Amino acid sequence: MRPSLSRRFGRSVVALTLFATVAFLIAPIVLTVVASFAASWTGVLPSGFVTFENWRAVLGLADTIGSQRSMGWSPLLSLPLGGETLSVLVPAELAFSIGLALGGVLINLVVGVPIAYAVSRYEFPGKEWVNAVSVLPLVPGVILGVAFLRAYPDLSATSFGLIVGYSLLKAPFMVMAVQSEFESMPLRQLEESARSLGASWPRTFLTVIVPNARSGIVSGAIICWALAAAEFNFSYIVWANGTQPLALFLQRHISNSSFTKAAAAVSMFFFIIVAVTLLLQRVGRRGFDTRGS
Amino acid sequence: MSDRHAENSSLSTVRALTPRVVDAVETVANPVTEREREYRRIVALCAPFAALVLVAGLYPLSEVVRISVSTAQYRSVGFSLDAYATLFGDPYYRRVAFDSLWLTTGTTLVSVGLAVPIAHALEKYDLPGEDLLVTLVSFPISLPGIVAAFMILVLFGNNGVVTAVAATLTGSRPTDLAFAVSVPGLFVAFVYSMVPRATLILRGTYAEVDSAAEEAAQALGATPFETFRYVTLPQIRPGITGALILTFRTGLAIFGTLVVIQTLVVWTLQLSRELGVGYDVQVAGAMATVYFAFTFLFTVVGLRYTSAEVGI
Repeated sequence: MRPSLSRRFGRSVVALTLFATVAFLIAPIVLTVVASFAASWTGVLPSGFVTFENWRAVLGLADTIGSQRSMGWSPLLSLPLGGETLSVLVPAELAFSIGLALGGVLINLVVGVPIAYAVSRYEFPGKEWVNAVSVLPLVPGVILGVAFLRAYPDLSATSFGLIVGYSLLKAPFMVMAVQSEFESMPLRQLEESARSLGASWPRTFLTVIVPNARSGIVSGAIICWALAAAEFNFSYIVWANGTQPLALFLQRHISNSSFTKAAAAVSMFFFIIVAVTLLLQRVGRRGFDTRGS
Repeated sequence: MSDRHAENSSLSTVRALTPRVVDAVETVANPVTEREREYRRIVALCAPFAALVLVAGLYPLSEVVRISVSTAQYRSVGFSLDAYATLFGDPYYRRVAFDSLWLTTGTTLVSVGLAVPIAHALEKYDLPGEDLLVTLVSFPISLPGIVAAFMILVLFGNNGVVTAVAATLTGSRPTDLAFAVSVPGLFVAFVYSMVPRATLILRGTYAEVDSAAEEAAQALGATPFETFRYVTLPQIRPGITGALILTFRTGLAIFGTLVVIQTLVVWTLQLSRELGVGYDVQVAGAMATVYFAFTFLFTVVGLRYTSAEVGI
């Protein structure tokens, strides 16, 4: 009997698809990081290593002009020290986005953890629909941006408007991460033991259930934070003036700056994501994966 | 006459419903049985999320629907379907809708088509460095569309690596070979964003596949392809349908990529242009309404009439 085609080649073709796709996804990332340290990129490969000019320009440590303007530095806090004031300076766009995303995560924690518990623990009519609504994004960022401009014209471009928008857009990721954690816990036993020992139901939820789901909640928070910090579509529609969110800063560099400088801006973003991914792995997840591994 | 009849019947429906609504509110406010207390807890647990969806989602969307039928430009007054007439009558908007649909459909099929073998290899084969591969495949999920577009410029742009290598090999000019800023380039950029998401969904499906049945099929002499076709595929089909629905939704929502690679005007890009020069807020509202209604219906029908699983 002749060995079948799929027995001879199937496995290698499937594995090759995997490796080719990984190469397609990762090669440009590596090249971007390499190019961010190059002086120019006109030939096949970038040249003029190793320079930190691009990074200095992007981070606002060198003088820049016009649309290639880099991050401004603004004081995060000022400490009166003796007669002088000591200011802690931070890159404005970066700090602004970090703060906005943190605000979004706080709202996500308040809205996401309870609904994930309701769906994982209880049976009730319409449960599938509650589940679908909580894990599917309601609208994409562009549509939500237009809706915010209409409904809250004065509020939408403010930090508060951005925070609320981010929290709605990223809520499904929080619900999914927490839900997958809840589903691996003996919720009924936990709840009933705590209740039989005399704890009220709110106390059970807050001091027994939530602390036990810590790792899911932490990884959900990290995922939501990273996605909110990178949110472009919503920010692009509602942002009016002032400090730019990080994603708009990236877009300005991609559209206007020299290739190597844009590479440095994008690489800075990569490093943030890598740091977040490492953090996620510390709490026991594999990358941006909302299911347990 | 018939109007009054309709009014009466709707009134009686309201009267019939009122006690039930009052009862439900009463139950939540003053639960007596344990079951009623449990309902109160469920309501309390869902309330914060419902409040967010209402304030940040449904109310703003209702404002968008109102402005889309308004007769004035900045205030929601009167009623007119002019914006919708423009949207459905003007060949330009039909073209935009058509371009959005074919681009998203094509990239969805390619992405899910790639994600099946990727998820298969990751779950079934013992590959060296599997954890690393999983991390690498998931990494682009966190990248916004503008960065995905930049990645395509790095590979296939005028200065792109693939372009430069191909130009050196064939001896032609790089600008003739670069295709990043073209419709195929946009297609590839969409796939770049969508493959990692499709893979994430399908890996979840693969994790639940019963491998004993596959081993039995192999032992009985089925080839690897026959095993996949008759044993694995029926088990992952709900996951594939779910991945198609969600990846299609992801594709329709893409916007940042189009800001960088503006070669094809799709629905989201046109929507943002309506807000720019000319500022036709009614048409923008109508476009948002149509988009929302379409994805909503499409998802409801998809989940209701197929066995699609929505995990993410």
